[in-house]
Amino acid sequence: MNKWFKSGTPWIWMTGGAVSISLIMVIGLFILIGWRGLSFFWPATVYEFDMVDKQGNHMNVIGEIYDTEIVQKQQLIEAGITGLEDKGDTLERYLIKIGNREYVDLDFQWILETVITEKHIPDNIVVLERTKNGNFYGYIKAIQENGVALTLTQTELETELASRLSITQALKDKEHALLKGDIGRINFDLEKIRLKKRKLDLDGLLTTEKITDFENQSQLLRDEYLSLETQLFDYRKQALRDSVVITDMTGRDVVMPIATVLDFYLPNKMSFIEKVGHWFHQTGKFVSDDPREANTEGGVFPAIFGTVFMVMLMAVIVTPFGVVAAIYLHEYAPKNNLTKFIRIAVINLAGVPSIVYGVFGLGFFVYIVGGSIDQLLYPEALPSPTFGSPGVLWSALTLAILTLPVVIVSTEEGLSRIPSALREGSLALGATKSETLWRIIVPMASPAIMTGLILAVARAAGEVAPLMLVGVVKMAPTLPVDGNFPYLHLERKFMHLGFHIYDVGFQSPNVEAARPLVYATSFLLVTVIIGLNLAAIAIRNNLREKYRSLEH
Amino acid sequence: MITLPKSTTEADVLTHLSADKTALEIKNLNLYYGDKQALFDISMKIPKGKVTAFIGPSGCGKSTLLRCINRMNDLVDICRVDGTIELQGTNIYEKSVDVASLRRRVGMVFQRPNPFPKSIYENVVYGLRLQGIKDRRVLDEAAETSLRSAALWNEVKDRLHDNAFGLSGGQQQRLVIARAVAIGPEVLLLDEPTSALDPISTLTIEELITELKEKFTVVIVTHNMQQAARVSDQTAFMYMGKLIEYTDTNTLFTAPKEKQTEDYITGRYG
Repeated sequence: MNKWFKSGTPWIWMTGGAVSISLIMVIGLFILIGWRGLSFFWPATVYEFDMVDKQGNHMNVIGEIYDTEIVQKQQLIEAGITGLEDKGDTLERYLIKIGNREYVDLDFQWILETVITEKHIPDNIVVLERTKNGNFYGYIKAIQENGVALTLTQTELETELASRLSITQALKDKEHALLKGDIGRINFDLEKIRLKKRKLDLDGLLTTEKITDFENQSQLLRDEYLSLETQLFDYRKQALRDSVVITDMTGRDVVMPIATVLDFYLPNKMSFIEKVGHWFHQTGKFVSDDPREANTEGGVFPAIFGTVFMVMLMAVIVTPFGVVAAIYLHEYAPKNNLTKFIRIAVINLAGVPSIVYGVFGLGFFVYIVGGSIDQLLYPEALPSPTFGSPGVLWSALTLAILTLPVVIVSTEEGLSRIPSALREGSLALGATKSETLWRIIVPMASPAIMTGLILAVARAAGEVAPLMLVGVVKMAPTLPVDGNFPYLHLERKFMHLGFHIYDVGFQSPNVEAARPLVYATSFLLVTVIIGLNLAAIAIRNNLREKYRSLEH
Repeated sequence: MITLPKSTTEADVLTHLSADKTALEIKNLNLYYGDKQALFDISMKIPKGKVTAFIGPSGCGKSTLLRCINRMNDLVDICRVDGTIELQGTNIYEKSVDVASLRRRVGMVFQRPNPFPKSIYENVVYGLRLQGIKDRRVLDEAAETSLRSAALWNEVKDRLHDNAFGLSGGQQQRLVIARAVAIGPEVLLLDEPTSALDPISTLTIEELITELKEKFTVVIVTHNMQQAARVSDQTAFMYMGKLIEYTDTNTLFTAPKEKQTEDYITGRYG
């Protein structure tokens, strides 16, 4: 036994075990959030349950089985439920997603298995995704045009609904394009004119002829707007022409304008291949759509965009600062106690809680720097702030400070790993110190700089707390990049996946509906971070190969 | 050709070298690392177009002396030099001297080959690019001439744009010599250039040194006495930071005047 210890075998087992446990935890986490998030997009079977309640009344419930739990019989008896004497010790209880939010008390209901008398899977149950109030489950009864039902057979109903839905969608797309495009531009231009006028007014240069000039310009825009508005209302009216009549689980017929329907499918009729296709379609929509209904429905595209955009902006800011600071500390600063102190201070910055950076960012960047910029450059917009309120630029700057130590430390390490023979070789050829730095040292240290950047990106992309103070919002109406000059709007607020998780999971009115989205968004956030890191690692490996240092 | 009186020894020839034949003149050079003195009152003249070798046991200061000649010791913060080294009559330790341009006139090759992580071609033209030369033709020509004079051209002409790390140790060292030669220095300092190489590469480099002296003044530091005997025209023996004996190579190895020199070359220490 003693010999076995001396041989070092237990040591190998221990270290190997530690690595395996870490790996298993990481992979397990990834699989858990991936599975729970992504299975949400799979078209679940919709059941129709026949139930008998305590009074002996028959009830019909249509819905997806969302969750199942095992309960002790004793527990149920003590809760006052009777008629369980002949059952086993444990009973199953289902959480059913009923949907039809505006017609029922609770769109998620727990149902005990004993009250269910029968459970079937009707083929022609349809699931409607709607712009408001979540899913609707029922049977298609009829399609109406201008309130008049069309004469169609049951099979024709589906195809007719699909074709009318795509017509309505096309109209809605046109409406959306008009709103975001031309009408958005007109509003932007009107605001610009207002600001120009106000600026001249502030400078005391506003003459009557300029006022009339501005008035004329605004009038032109307003006229254009009015014609666009009629077009917009026309689209809306056309979209409202068709409705669909759905029979819900209680047998009531509900008339629903097709304009409020986003998509419909018949999950019980779908083959496996169709379900796979549907899954990809739904996942795609989640990644590319805007959120709806207080973020509990729809996609997360603005949050993905905001996260990636902010992280990239941060990388662009932090890299030059970090590299230059590291070069000074390593190459030029005298090697004395002050330098040592500064280095320790920089390293310790990495240990400051991130919310502190958030407070600093809000106080310094937003209020002082942003406020001053507003005073100097945008006095015409005051009192409404331009840069003086939280925005994506300030978030990127705050995170840049947060990640600066990481970049400095790894750049310095990279600089100190370069053999002094190379410096001497360059200096001996008549290069000055700065020429040696830029031609030999910094290129050779670039893999280390990239390592620093990878760590910085990984940290910044996952950071939420400071962002809540300096620029993240629950719902940003516009992206920080759009078609209006100057295309990049760094003063705008943005959405972030990390904050989105918090918001959907813990601030939403409908916890059950939001839960799978929390998993899906978490999975997406991790994927985005891994993606950003892999990109940086690829660049680094490329650089490493290029600047392989002397190894004999 | 100066005719010398019969009584003059070979050492006197070096002492009385005329100015036009002197490449470097070191006068009363003392060097300190902090409080510790590393070189003691060294004075010598290094003749033009010859190979001068510095030999001596480890830590005797031969490399330190070599690094004074292109002011590489400036890189060491605590290093202090007094005395003068004259290159073509001007003291290189003068305040007005630009170190970078001094180093262009006095090239250096180090113990271990230190090519840059660039292509062979870019390594050779590095010094020229620093001088702002961009003309492709001039660079190509200089690269070929330097590689030829470093006896490397035939081996690398087909892969000039490959990474220099792909070369063998001996080839890398010749590449480094080509790099130093490319900027056209007056003096070439070689700091134990073969100590990290195998015997065959060593031989190639030694042959190369003999060729190089036709164009440059070569100063070589070596701990290998046979090498000094093979390649150099005159040899300086140093011990404990002092210049013990400096005379032509033949005399030094066959009839050393100083007891310490004799002990060293007969292998009694070092």
